[in-house]
Amino acid sequence: MPKSKTTPFLVIIVGVLVAGGFAMYLSRQGSTSAGPTEGGSAAAQTGHVRGAPDAMISLVEYGDYQCPTCGLYHPILKELLNRYPGKFKLQYHHFPLVQMHSNAMGAALAAEAAADQGKFWEMHDLLFDRQREWGDLRQPHPNAEAVFVQYALQIGLDSNKFMQSMRSPATRDRVLADVTRGNAVVKGTPTFILDGQVVPNLPPIEWFVDYIERRLATSAQSGK
Amino acid sequence: MKKRAISLLLLSFLGLVDTLYLGIKRGTPVPCSITTGCEEVLNSSFSTLAGIPISWFGFAFYLAVFSAAAFSVFSDEDRLLKWIFWPALAAFVISIGLVAVQAFILRAYCQYCLVSAILTTLIFFGSPRPGLRRMAQET
Repeated sequence: MPKSKTTPFLVIIVGVLVAGGFAMYLSRQGSTSAGPTEGGSAAAQTGHVRGAPDAMISLVEYGDYQCPTCGLYHPILKELLNRYPGKFKLQYHHFPLVQMHSNAMGAALAAEAAADQGKFWEMHDLLFDRQREWGDLRQPHPNAEAVFVQYALQIGLDSNKFMQSMRSPATRDRVLADVTRGNAVVKGTPTFILDGQVVPNLPPIEWFVDYIERRLATSAQSGK
Repeated sequence: MKKRAISLLLLSFLGLVDTLYLGIKRGTPVPCSITTGCEEVLNSSFSTLAGIPISWFGFAFYLAVFSAAAFSVFSDEDRLLKWIFWPALAAFVISIGLVAVQAFILRAYCQYCLVSAILTTLIFFGSPRPGLRRMAQET
């Protein structure tokens, strides 16, 4: 049977379109996956809280300041906090992946040292916003601590107290306590626990927005 | 040649899905369910060449193989497929280099990149060898 000369062209076009469709479907898996799974309530305690403490919806993050994915989520979480003031809060826990990220523990200590002077979130923002400045994997900063001190000065911290805090065993213990708490639930960073349940995959902002909107709608209906 | 072309068609289709997925997810969090370190690999300085994400070079390679295989399967035109060996060899060598970068420099693995390396290897070993082609012509 003679074959049409146009058939291969059609196959190529259809093949690329189908492959694109599959890729699109896979990329949206996070947003269409089932809701959060049980198991995170024990790991979702204390931590630094951003947003109204009595906010109805609570998201716990186990993060690593040198992890690029955590860096990608940083503006997403800030956007959610801005979009739902009083309704949504973020609890941050340290989970530095020290075997993979040479400066992650130092960064967590810097954030905790800033917390000692009441500026945890200011340092948290700086560490994520300038992650590439101090966290490049190929060229670990030879003196990341000096960079963290610069950040401390920028946000108005007392540099001597900051250094003391950074080197204090009590500060390290706080970070390690977070790691111990997260060990049972954290498979990688970031790990999110939304209202006590571990969030599967790494969903896009739309997934969080959808969840929050549904929770708010349910709450509004039951409040009537 | 037909079975070989069908195999290459399927392998390159999977490669297209893999590279398009990475292209779509560029700049957004990529879930890493089997390995850990997708973001480290995908955001490293090795993930781009002249500012272009390497996944797009992979896409171009898979598209070439897919096209050549489609011509072989659907119009009995094997000439393109016979030329696939050389880009497949280049892709195979580059894949070995990229896996080495993940193992020894980044010390992090991206499952999508590993899948691509496996596909490239299979395509390389599945593509018609120039020597075999000559032998086939002589007999």
